[in-house]
Amino acid sequence: MSEPFEPKITAFVCTYCTYAGADLAGTSRLKYAPNVRIIRLPCTGRISPMFILKALQKGADGILISGCHPGDCHFTHGNYHARRRWMVFRALLSFTGIPEERIKYSWISAAEGLKFADLINNITEDIRKLGPFDQYHKLIEETQAQASL
Amino acid sequence: MSIEQQYRTRAKELLSAGEVKMVIGYGAGTTAERRRPIFITSPDETERLVLDSACIANLSGYLVTEGLLSDEKRVAVFLRPEGIRALNVLAAEAQLDPLQVVIIGFDLPKGELKSLQGSSVDDFTDLLGALKESTPDVDGRELLEKIEKMSPEERFAFWQEEFSKCIKCYACRQACPMCYCRRCIVDSNQPQWVNTSSHTLGNFEWNIVRAFHLSGRCVECGNCDRACPVNIPLRLINRKMAQEVLDSFNHFAGTSKTQEPVLASFKKDDSETFIL
Repeated sequence: MSEPFEPKITAFVCTYCTYAGADLAGTSRLKYAPNVRIIRLPCTGRISPMFILKALQKGADGILISGCHPGDCHFTHGNYHARRRWMVFRALLSFTGIPEERIKYSWISAAEGLKFADLINNITEDIRKLGPFDQYHKLIEETQAQASL
Repeated sequence: MSIEQQYRTRAKELLSAGEVKMVIGYGAGTTAERRRPIFITSPDETERLVLDSACIANLSGYLVTEGLLSDEKRVAVFLRPEGIRALNVLAAEAQLDPLQVVIIGFDLPKGELKSLQGSSVDDFTDLLGALKESTPDVDGRELLEKIEKMSPEERFAFWQEEFSKCIKCYACRQACPMCYCRRCIVDSNQPQWVNTSSHTLGNFEWNIVRAFHLSGRCVECGNCDRACPVNIPLRLINRKMAQEVLDSFNHFAGTSKTQEPVLASFKKDDSETFIL
């Protein structure tokens, strides 16, 4: 008897908008899938592509990156910089074979608790359908294999 | 007088007039078809300079050698258009003062040696502008198109196969004029973002990081590709990323010495079709 697959999703969010949005979802008693691990950062501009690689390296099946809507950034333009970076990084990941569907991007403001809850539910369902990221997990297993002499 | 002879004379004049303290050019290599960089500081040595269709390496990376330009004296360097673009990128990123560099320009269209007029980066603005419009004739275009048509799983498998050859020698980093960081991110271990072991995951991560750091900066000189001892088609990834920034942001790296780096700037109306 095998357990049903529960996707692991890592969310990198900015503290001023999406994290506050997630907070609102909580205080509004909205229920959403428990598969997401939220990592709070000062700004989307702080979300380095290294974080995405690290999340994959630690076995994430899906990744969400979310921050303030354009124009709403607490630091005025952190999210504009981030947007460009994602555009390029997304193309690079796609070219090297990381499916685009596994890495999602969104703008969620502090007032959009409902959007946050819905998004998490949808992403969890999408990733559940895709199944575990076996191709990458196999690489991780290789790194843990004992060295043979 | 052959172009080689003309350029030797020019190098000699520059050195004897004291206009430059060093000429970075090509000399004979270990085999007949190879050239190696030589660093000439006296006019008598200029006879050692070689210029022919085998001079393909991009020498601009030597300009950011620590301390070379810190005495504010000038240095002359043999550069192809890609090299001049690289020089512009380095100048735009404040790594050197382009006024300290005297360019001895040449090109090798279809292996035919051709001289380029001008000596400072600004003299080549039109030439570089025209490059942006032209469709580059890169080796491996077919392979690139083939990869683009694959499914993500196939692409993943393709690159795993390629990256599995990687021995983490970092020759690609060493050869690249754009990889000038004193401390590369893979050398940092607190935190350690990238696996440094040469297993497939570590190789994959390293190559992703390398390609990302070159996005919008790579001038496609091919130094990394030629330096790779196991022949990973590194150029394909760089080509793909260059195309991506051109399509998305109309950015062609190294067209001027004051060009804003593409990932350090933004427009309010940048495309965001992928954001939910």
